[in-house]
Amino acid sequence: MNSSPEDFEGLRRLLALKRHEQPPPGYFDHFSDKVIARIEAEGLVMRSSWWQRLFPELDARPVLVSAYGLVIVGLLVVGLGASQSLETAESASPVLASPWLGPTPAPTEVALTPIDPSARQMIGQSDSRSSFTPVVSSTAPSFLFDVNQWKTRGNLGLTDYAVPAP
Amino acid sequence: MNADVLEKPTVSVPPASGEPEDERTVVKRAKSGDMAAYDELVRRYEERIYATVYHMTANHEDANDLAQEAFIKAYQALNSFKGDSSFFTWVYRIAVNKTINFLKQRRNKAHLSLNDLDFNAEHDPDLVALISDKTPRRDVNLSELQQKLNEAMQKLSEVHRLVVTLHDIQGLSHEEISKIMDCNTGTVRSRLFYARQQLQAYLSDYLK
Repeated sequence: MNSSPEDFEGLRRLLALKRHEQPPPGYFDHFSDKVIARIEAEGLVMRSSWWQRLFPELDARPVLVSAYGLVIVGLLVVGLGASQSLETAESASPVLASPWLGPTPAPTEVALTPIDPSARQMIGQSDSRSSFTPVVSSTAPSFLFDVNQWKTRGNLGLTDYAVPAP
Repeated sequence: MNADVLEKPTVSVPPASGEPEDERTVVKRAKSGDMAAYDELVRRYEERIYATVYHMTANHEDANDLAQEAFIKAYQALNSFKGDSSFFTWVYRIAVNKTINFLKQRRNKAHLSLNDLDFNAEHDPDLVALISDKTPRRDVNLSELQQKLNEAMQKLSEVHRLVVTLHDIQGLSHEEISKIMDCNTGTVRSRLFYARQQLQAYLSDYLK
């Protein structure tokens, strides 16, 4: 099967006419606008995160990628150096040892004043529980509400108040 | 040729020579949702895509709709575009598939809606020679010739019309056409030969 150019020379010239068929002037001025408008109208626009948008930018700019890598490496080196210098300073001077990182001092003991025996007798307790020991009682002491017991437990008595005559 | 085979724009084709260096960058920007980048891609190829569809349909309104739809479909499928082939070849395949499917549905209902010839047509050396020297019917004018040529084109099958359009009108190489049509170059050559023979027969009155 041979399709040498001279076999179809006339046809080739005639087909050249098709290349001169052109759409109306200015037709392509708004073609892409119409395509984009239809894409947006049909809700087809692809949304991407800032991270996805960043990667094509980085991919397109090797210098930017290199600079980004250098910054990361630089930060790592600075961080490593700072941590090593801190360790050295800590071992060289105990004063510089971070106090906030040292052991917490033991809590000092508080000397508790013993409970007065008379007071203990008054509230009907015989043990020596400190004030830190919670007193759990379901009922209030009965003597608090009994006037007769007040008389027997201490020098308590009823008092009369004489109102002077005018 | 089955149009469904062409529907899969996944063939691995190296970028065409002479292609702008930064096409991949623009495609990546478009993939990340940058509509300005996709607008740029449309502007780059709108004329060629439109022209191909127009020469296939011989109808300006259909070509307008199909070309727009091809770019919209390409946008929808943009994430499946791996960049193995050029974006141009990929979008061309989408447009061609859409057009062939459209023509299959429109069969026997063809209605020509031809664009006007531009001013340069009257000065085209090939056309001047064709009309003044070798055409037996020397009284023929360009508009009539245009009408007859388009009618003859519409008599070809879709694949034969496509080969003539891409090679003889658009100037694509056999290799590029084989990538677009997903067939080997031998098939392209044989289809082109057959299509030319058919056209020559239909247009014998206007050719020597």
